[in-house]
Amino acid sequence: MEIFTLENVCAGYEGRPVLDGVTLRIVEGEFVAIIGPNGSGKSTLVKVLAGAIKPVSGMIKFRERPLGNYGWGDLARSFSVVHQFGPDPLPFTVREFVSMGRFPHRGFFPAMDPGRKREDRHREAVERAMALAGVEDLALRKITELSGGERQLCAIACALAQNSRIILLDEPIASLDIRHSMTIMDVLYDLNCSGSTVIAVLHDINIAACYCRRMLGLKSGRLFIDDSTEGAVAYDRIEALYDTLCVTGKDPVTSKPHVYPVPGFVKKRFGSSGGISGGGASTEA
Amino acid sequence: MSRMKTIAALSAGAFLFVMSLMAGPKIYSPAELWNMLVLGADERARSVIMGLRLPRILMALGVGASLSVSGAVFQAILKNPLADPYLIGVSSGAACGAAAAIVLGLGYFWVAAFSFAGSLGVISAVFLISRRMKIGGSSLILSGVSLGFILSSAVLMIFFLAGPGKVHQAVMWMMGDFSAARYDMLAYMGAFCALLIAFVALYARHLDVISMGDLYAQNLGVTPASVRALFWAAALLASICVSLCGVIGFVGLIIPHAVRKAVGPGHSSLVPWAAAAGGVFLMAADAVGRSVVRPYDVPVGIITGFAGGIFFLLFVARGREYR
Repeated sequence: MEIFTLENVCAGYEGRPVLDGVTLRIVEGEFVAIIGPNGSGKSTLVKVLAGAIKPVSGMIKFRERPLGNYGWGDLARSFSVVHQFGPDPLPFTVREFVSMGRFPHRGFFPAMDPGRKREDRHREAVERAMALAGVEDLALRKITELSGGERQLCAIACALAQNSRIILLDEPIASLDIRHSMTIMDVLYDLNCSGSTVIAVLHDINIAACYCRRMLGLKSGRLFIDDSTEGAVAYDRIEALYDTLCVTGKDPVTSKPHVYPVPGFVKKRFGSSGGISGGGASTEA
Repeated sequence: MSRMKTIAALSAGAFLFVMSLMAGPKIYSPAELWNMLVLGADERARSVIMGLRLPRILMALGVGASLSVSGAVFQAILKNPLADPYLIGVSSGAACGAAAAIVLGLGYFWVAAFSFAGSLGVISAVFLISRRMKIGGSSLILSGVSLGFILSSAVLMIFFLAGPGKVHQAVMWMMGDFSAARYDMLAYMGAFCALLIAFVALYARHLDVISMGDLYAQNLGVTPASVRALFWAAALLASICVSLCGVIGFVGLIIPHAVRKAVGPGHSSLVPWAAAAGGVFLMAADAVGRSVVRPYDVPVGIITGFAGGIFFLLFVARGREYR
């Protein structure tokens, strides 16, 4: 089933257009990476998918119904979004924070939830989410005391408590060390294997290539690449996407394509002609 | 909070309540209190306690609870631990209205009405200005602070034009005082404030999510309408209190802050405990004000100012972060 259908979507902030005619379809069960240079509209795309920004023109459908037809609560129950943490959150414990993911599933008056069963179900969902994200040991710690990587895992746990079937993530592994990056990507990979749809903005093409099956490359608000990982991570396409000289090879462990940017060869410095003779050589060639 | 702590807090509150009944221009001993209130001796002293001190104490309880809950809501909405209801201009609007009414020589009712109208005007202006942007951002604080500057100048202008006697009266009003407390007024105020506090308490889970930031609030399905409702509930709580008792500072700032340290940031426990602690704090502050420079009544705003300043100094000196 198609989860998201975008047709010719243009969107932006207060008259500054960012997305420029994006057309794409995302099907249930996919693991999609959104890549592209800074300012190319990756975060805007996530916000548009999440319903946080209304498109100026074009059409977005969620599960084959226009996104605008869903109420705030409906959307919050249908998928979850993981954001970067704010600068300094209040000192909630990890369990309290993850429980917030149940917010859209609760009735307004707790007393209106029939019996204790409902409350048990919420608690179960919270414990399961913490276990999936591997933060159950941190349950009683305060989120303010955690490291960046642990916080990010908690944010993912919160999203899992909210809805683990469809997850959107905005740079989930930005500024994390390799261990936490791998932990988070493994969690997402396992979720995807159990049927969840995962859509993540990623800066690290190589990590994205190891885990994701499909890549969307945005450049100046346009969908520049929409291909399988193997098709997308080719030196000419990545070079054109980032305007940076690249060499591609194979990851020795996963055999997935790997990108090596070449120092000192940002293309703009050579004019707009693009191709640098003899430069874009693949190590596979 | 553990059961022991709860019992300790409740008994401290009860103790301070009895102390406040004793405190005043004439200090009664517990035995005298018992004799007059339970056994019915000394009719005159009894009428002082029941007719003057008790309504004053109840007023302080209600105002303290309201200001403190209002502060807790603003700290969550603005995502700023140093926010309080006065930051968005509730107090400056009220002061301007009250100063105008006092200088015009109007009575207590009209002073309250003018100051309520003044603070409602400022809140509406802040609300309309910041509505074009998103509520909760810095736009609320910035428009509140700038309107505050304008209105402070307006107050000074009114003082400049008025005679010294009126100015003194207006300045006294601004320091905050409960001496006007009467039972009929208390009933209305208490009913309104209790309703608004109950409303805020129902939205405790919303407040938790809102305090995590706009993106969380949005994606967890908190509607902008509920944020607006909370904004208005908190603003009304503060402006009702300010228009009846003057500008009593620091309660909305330090009490939610201190209570958060004790019971945690979750609003389902923070809101009721902040209400209780705010009420007891203001009751005790007023009792101190009534008894330090007998027979004069030190305005309660002076006492809360001292207490609040010292509290923050201690906080800074202990090197804790602001949360």
